[in-house]
Amino acid sequence: MAIRKVLERLEKAGTALETFMLVSMLTAMMVLAVGQIVMREGFGTGFGWADELVRLMVLWLAMVGSIAASRENRHIRIDALSHILPDWAVNTFRVLVDLFAAAVCAVIAVQAWRYLQVEIEYEDTVLVDTPAWIAHSIMPVAFALIAYRFVISSCKQASNGLFNREPEAEV
Amino acid sequence: MILFSLLLALLAILGAPLFAVIAASAMIGFHSQESDLMIMAIEIQSIASMPFLAAIPLFTFAGYLLSESNAPKRLVRLTGALLGWMPGGLSLVCLAACAFFTAFTGASGVTIIALGAILYPALKQDGYGDKFNLGLVTSAGSLGLLFAPSLPLILYGVVAEVSIEDLFLAGILPGLLMLIMLSAYSLWINRAIRKPLSSFSVREVGAALRESLWELPLPVVVLGGIYSGFFAVSEAAAITALYVVIVEVLILREIPLRELPRIMRSSMVLVGGILIILAVSVASTSYMIDADIPQQLFEIVAELVSSQTTFLILLLIFLLILGAILDIFSAIVLVVPLILPIAAGYGINEVHLGIVFLAAMQLGYLTPPVGLNLFIASYRFEKPIMHVYSATFPFLIILMLSVILITFLPQLSLVFLGG
Repeated sequence: MAIRKVLERLEKAGTALETFMLVSMLTAMMVLAVGQIVMREGFGTGFGWADELVRLMVLWLAMVGSIAASRENRHIRIDALSHILPDWAVNTFRVLVDLFAAAVCAVIAVQAWRYLQVEIEYEDTVLVDTPAWIAHSIMPVAFALIAYRFVISSCKQASNGLFNREPEAEV
Repeated sequence: MILFSLLLALLAILGAPLFAVIAASAMIGFHSQESDLMIMAIEIQSIASMPFLAAIPLFTFAGYLLSESNAPKRLVRLTGALLGWMPGGLSLVCLAACAFFTAFTGASGVTIIALGAILYPALKQDGYGDKFNLGLVTSAGSLGLLFAPSLPLILYGVVAEVSIEDLFLAGILPGLLMLIMLSAYSLWINRAIRKPLSSFSVREVGAALRESLWELPLPVVVLGGIYSGFFAVSEAAAITALYVVIVEVLILREIPLRELPRIMRSSMVLVGGILIILAVSVASTSYMIDADIPQQLFEIVAELVSSQTTFLILLLIFLLILGAILDIFSAIVLVVPLILPIAAGYGINEVHLGIVFLAAMQLGYLTPPVGLNLFIASYRFEKPIMHVYSATFPFLIILMLSVILITFLPQLSLVFLGG
């Protein structure tokens, strides 16, 4: 099963990359915001771009955090039926709803991709003179990856159902 | 259109991720207006232009870090030293410590895990009944939601475009009311015990204060800084997060540096889950405003309801049902934009509305079928869910009474706002 091995490696590398991005962005955000206060109170100055950079980092944190949430099956759901219904029913519904989520994310990914093309065409900029599409490139990437995660999760649920295993537990 | 809505509601109930359901409803709406779906990307990226939003990841991370350190233990010791001399001391300690901790960790269930683990066995040892303990710890797990700097308050401020500083002030008395009513109930129910935890000792207070020396500046800096206008909420959040890292990791060394990435990741997973719902809700709200839905809703409601009081009663019932189905974060981003204009039509202050909204949603943590606290407590203390539910029920009733008071006494929320 060579493909399986490759996929497992990708999985590991992906998790490590997500963690690295989350850690470095969160740290940068803390340092940048505190640095701004020090600059303002201590020296009466500050970087005009720092505030905008912090806000863009919120977008990135949200997107990368969402990818991580889909990997760990921690997206917010109305979790009412899983405590009542038998395992097979929960499994079946999860296969369906995760496929639905995958489809929705795929559509958004395509739309975000189209949006980037427009931004490139119009040469929009953020942070003084950075091309806006670079700052927004996380959107199509994130939604594509989340869609992929939901397909995988759906397949997992299906195989759980077929082999009569318990549904993936919510953490 | 109605068919689609029903289908989406069904998917949500069957357990589809909420953000996907909301995104789908926005896209169906935009499609029906013949708008280019590219608008979804524009709406989602608009979370990068919301002020103060950085406070949410920063406070969440600080709260996760605090809950993994020994800060909960120190907090319980300090509250014990300060309140333990009263009859029924430990139950009061439990309520006060939980409220304080929840305010700082954002009501995501960490309170029950971090503090409940210490308090639940301690209560039992002190002779309180098991059912009371379970109910107390479970309901205390979301107490403090109305105190600054809790995440739901910040999120409401962002979504409703209301001053977050005002909300922080407005939450004080309603939050205290909940605390006092639950304390009174706890004292009354345990009147046979009337057992102080310990006698008051200046020395113990001093020792507990010394032990918490490093965490003590936190509330002062955060709340003082925000209330005095010295810095914005997002800046206070950054200072809190950086300070907590320095104290817990570098000075007290309670959390090894190598654990930091794991804690950062797990806190950002929660944040990602909340912010993606916020992002897609921005899209669905903007569709609804385009389609004039808030106005139509207002007209329907205005035909049925004439007085402010009737409206508030209906609002409360609606919010209690909503809280039983949706988690607090989704409810805020999805529903607040719709009811804000309607409430304004009945002359309800938007800050007061926020406090009522959050207070009612707090009950949702304790009501079936999706009450988060019920499930966390059932899992953490290994008790069947029905048992937790019945243990929590009296506390739920008390809290419901407090929510009714908060709703019909707007002065409670507005007295500090100078207007």
